[in-house]
Amino acid sequence: MDMLLTEDQLALAETVRDYLAGTHGPEVLRRLDAEGNRDPAIWQGLVDMGLTGLLVPEAQGGLGMGLVDAALIAAECGRTCLAEPLVDTAFVGVPWLQAQGKTDQLADVAAGRVTLPLAHAINPWVADGAGVALKSVDPMRNLAASANDNADPHLLNLGALMSAAQLVGLADAMLHLAVEYAKIRTQFGQPIGAFQAIKHQLATCAVAIEFAKPVVWQAAQALQDRRPSAAVHVSHAKVAATDAAILTAETAIQVHGAMGYTYEVDLHFWMKRSWALSGAWGTRAFHLKRVDDAVLGGTLAIGPENTFA
Amino acid sequence: MHLECTPEQDAFRAEVRAWMEAHVPKEPLVTLECREGYDQHVEWERTLSSGNWGMVTWPEAYGGRGLDLIQWLIFEEEYFRAGGPNRANQNGIFLLGPTIMEFGTDEQKKRFLTPMAKGEVIWAQAWSEPGAGSDMAAISSKAVRDGDHYVITGQKTWSSRAAFADWGFGMFRTDPDSKRHKGLTFILFDINSPGITRRPIRQLHGDTGFAELFFDEVRVPVENCLAGEGEGWNVAMATAGFERGLMLRSPGRFQATAKRLVDLYRKHEAEASPAAREAVLQAWMAAQAYAYNTYAVAAKIMAGGKIGAEASLNKIFWSELDRSMHRTAMQLLGAHAELKRFDDGSVNQWLEGYIFSLSGPIYAGSNEVQRNITAERMLGLPRVGAG
Repeated sequence: MDMLLTEDQLALAETVRDYLAGTHGPEVLRRLDAEGNRDPAIWQGLVDMGLTGLLVPEAQGGLGMGLVDAALIAAECGRTCLAEPLVDTAFVGVPWLQAQGKTDQLADVAAGRVTLPLAHAINPWVADGAGVALKSVDPMRNLAASANDNADPHLLNLGALMSAAQLVGLADAMLHLAVEYAKIRTQFGQPIGAFQAIKHQLATCAVAIEFAKPVVWQAAQALQDRRPSAAVHVSHAKVAATDAAILTAETAIQVHGAMGYTYEVDLHFWMKRSWALSGAWGTRAFHLKRVDDAVLGGTLAIGPENTFA
Repeated sequence: MHLECTPEQDAFRAEVRAWMEAHVPKEPLVTLECREGYDQHVEWERTLSSGNWGMVTWPEAYGGRGLDLIQWLIFEEEYFRAGGPNRANQNGIFLLGPTIMEFGTDEQKKRFLTPMAKGEVIWAQAWSEPGAGSDMAAISSKAVRDGDHYVITGQKTWSSRAAFADWGFGMFRTDPDSKRHKGLTFILFDINSPGITRRPIRQLHGDTGFAELFFDEVRVPVENCLAGEGEGWNVAMATAGFERGLMLRSPGRFQATAKRLVDLYRKHEAEASPAAREAVLQAWMAAQAYAYNTYAVAAKIMAGGKIGAEASLNKIFWSELDRSMHRTAMQLLGAHAELKRFDDGSVNQWLEGYIFSLSGPIYAGSNEVQRNITAERMLGLPRVGAG
């Protein structure tokens, strides 16, 4: 029993982080916002790094990794506010197809030739799918209206888990933006980040984020292992990550002051993605209800001896 | 990452469970913060020691079991599952013991660690002074060298366990010309030494857990100094690290409280508000999050990593969680909440727990200080006003 993220896992996440920081900064978001929000060159870069095949078995040209690895990288996609549909296709769609034994498309996904629009009854739209276009508050999201009758619980869990993972990355990024702004914005003769009124709010965000992360990684492992309790852990992760991201978004705009209310400051891209993912793949209320059914409904063993029940 | 126990871990858990079920007192002990309760808790320390369960993380050479951190977490889970009492020896186990192991001489290790492990000597901490609370570097109590002794004069306050404990540890200013973090020395002292007056402080619940200590030319042998004269701040920082870091409050304690809260909610479900229901679910989620995080930090330490600002995050998280769980319980209890004993004669543990939980965000470095540390050391925000 351990909660160790291996050096290999952390090193891969760091590599992806560095790559995205170098190729997908705020200036890229602004270019995409102005010129159309998908870019084949960015997608090809992700394919070349092997990320589209992260969960595809090696026999089909992938890396054959697991959901913990994918969750760590989904967090990096959140951190950089990635526009391309990597998480949906490679970290939600691939394991869902695999679970159903549908493996014929996997090689094409790994090679980056195919994306997987995911229709589910929990969402009133399909992201990056065909249909009447719907406009999201997040300028990087391409949504289409869809009659979704697929209520598959595994797909829902995968979607919720990877949304949670992106949300902790988004929260990290928003905290970082607020911290950097608080270091350089001067008022009353000092950086505003020297005021405890600012420090304490940002520290509270750090607490929420750092205690949401292990919930997400644990849920990823539980879902990877297909534990009977996995759905509860995924829901816990979605609630914790949502709360951390929304708290951090609201704190970050407050720390930015009036600048935070402008389109000019980058924060809004991350904030809008956080709003979108908070409601996607099951609202907070939906996931809290699943925790409720397990904890108060008595289907999950609780107490100190049941940490990993 | 593995969510399954190894067969060895399962066997260890079963061993702890069997011993705890056979030995944990069936009736809750009287509060540790009065003479009768203190004596009961010291007796419990000796019972634990008789089964060699007193200092499980200590090396065997000092009377421990040399458990790794995962085994320690399993031990704690079972301890709180069984409803094990609070630890009278908390200051020794997690604060002073590890500090002596790191900084003490062989002679000091022999002299202090074994009696601590056996529950023969109970330790009080003596950090704060009237003018040095959150700002610990403002310490002014003096220790003046006189031959083979220090002569200590000054005052300590809010000393946990000091109303009844045998020995104490704290920092004293050995260099009269020094300022702030410099010139402080970490000294161990017998609280029954001539010249020490202890004045128990009545706490808001009416009992006396902590005390003031007055030092009037108290002679303490030089060999009671830990890690050399003037090294006090470095030693204390290591101690504060242990305390705030991983071991002061293990997750099992909060998971047990969350489970009791779920049971309480079920009893009061008919009249409970939706907000209380959500607060109960939040309690379970937060206690679990604290457990996952502690397992993650333990794994990191076992792989050779160190705790940094995470210690401050931890302290903020568990202390505010504890307070909110008890607040929720008080709301669920409604008009029963104020009763010190319920109709059936049982002690209102939620009331006692709520009052105790209010001290959590204050002691071991107030949460305001912890937020400053988080903001400055983890997030890199600028410091002001610190000298």
